[in-house]
Amino acid sequence: MPKWFDSFTDTIESDEQQYLACETCGHGTLPPRRLCPACGSADLTREPLSKRGTVLSFTEISITIPKFHGETPYTVALVELDEEITLTGQLRDATADDIAIGDAVVLGTEPRDAGTAVLTFRPAEE
Amino acid sequence: MPPKIASVASTKYDEHPDSSSRELFVEAAIDAFEETDLGPSDLDAVYVGNFMGDLIEDQGHMGALLADHVGAREVASIRIESACASGGATFRQAVHAVESGAADAVLAGGVEQMSIANIEHVTDALANAADDVYENEQGLTFPGIYALMARRYMHEFGARKEDLAAVSVKNHNNAVENPLAQFQKELTVDDVLASKPIATPLVLYDACPVSDGASVVIVVSEAFAADHSLDTSASVLGTGQSSDAVALQDRATITRTPAAERAAEEAYDEADTAPEDIDVVEVHDCFTIAEILALEALGFYGRGEGTRGAVDGETALDGKLPVNTSGGLLGKGHPVGVTGIGQIVELTKQIDGRHPNQVEGVNTALAHNVGGSGASTTVTILGGE
Repeated sequence: MPKWFDSFTDTIESDEQQYLACETCGHGTLPPRRLCPACGSADLTREPLSKRGTVLSFTEISITIPKFHGETPYTVALVELDEEITLTGQLRDATADDIAIGDAVVLGTEPRDAGTAVLTFRPAEE
Repeated sequence: MPPKIASVASTKYDEHPDSSSRELFVEAAIDAFEETDLGPSDLDAVYVGNFMGDLIEDQGHMGALLADHVGAREVASIRIESACASGGATFRQAVHAVESGAADAVLAGGVEQMSIANIEHVTDALANAADDVYENEQGLTFPGIYALMARRYMHEFGARKEDLAAVSVKNHNNAVENPLAQFQKELTVDDVLASKPIATPLVLYDACPVSDGASVVIVVSEAFAADHSLDTSASVLGTGQSSDAVALQDRATITRTPAAERAAEEAYDEADTAPEDIDVVEVHDCFTIAEILALEALGFYGRGEGTRGAVDGETALDGKLPVNTSGGLLGKGHPVGVTGIGQIVELTKQIDGRHPNQVEGVNTALAHNVGGSGASTTVTILGGE
């Protein structure tokens, strides 16, 4: 995995600044961008993510790529965080039968091989 | 003067375990030469659409390799890669070369040899069309990406699994009469729903198969066609192409395909046509939800209404807008870098009046080819004489 992604997941765990907000148009984006994909501005500043969001969609994967062999079935969710940043990650502490579009979830990370991490979502406590 | 299509040819799309990209490509090229009495010495360029030659066959540099094998060693050659839209992008570059006057005759082909690798290897290779870090490394697969789009679409518009399955049933049934199609077996909605899950809510028959094959189109200028007394029927009225974020999470919406909307607008404008002028369509139905989203992006249906096409029979062979008369990717097969060229082959046959599922009175036809989950899209509009 590239170093920038390791830095990104490290900052999620540390509650430091993780996403890039465009000073010109306000669009939020993710590292490692130098230019805003919405307006092309180079004025991007790092801002913290709240780590709370809602499920936009999800899927239970039965056939996967070699890296995730032996782990099926598992559920991948597409989640929009409160800052309108959308992330893809694996569901934990619940299965596809337990969640629905619109449910509140919390972003986290989980260590994998070679010191890198996978993004995770857990159902939010009420 | 719009470029003309001098000839078209395809191999059967299927598993060809004893073949290779060079053999499949040459087989299609020879058929294209024989159809119109053109030969390699007539070509100014060879463009090759190919996605995974280097990943599956350890063979890059497909442009020069295949130009050599079709007997045109010294012409300009290039491989064009745009994931599953490689074929559509290749055809568009050939059209632009002829329109600009840089070339009078271009062989635009596509080839893919996928089945020689095991399914895990192929799945891994296909994943190269997604964002490796933000998607693949999180455990998302290509069917999984379309499954996310399908579930959200069903949530927003009340579509059912049965509505998705109707697309697979229609296209598989169209494939039965197409001798070049991979599947020759009719399906029912129950057959589709009973197939095994791959990424919920999608099941196996919501997905296209792994395919090997090649297709070739020879694009010529009008002057070249006249000089060589070519009996052409199809003209390229317009093309369009647009891009979007590769990662699904970076899109403003996952129930629309804006790159297809932009490509379609460009192609309709250039061709001076509108959706109501189109007689027959080939769309990129790599998954059932993809055909539904395509019909909406191309302006044939409003948002959330695309399921009507297959469910109500409007896109059937005898419907008001026949879609994927070839069998589509679901029934005909999807050798990924070839598909966009294969669509032009099928539509040219419809315009010529020699398609195995011939639609009456075809004068204007549209092809829609997608790379990734919508990050690359080409749209082509062909017209008769």
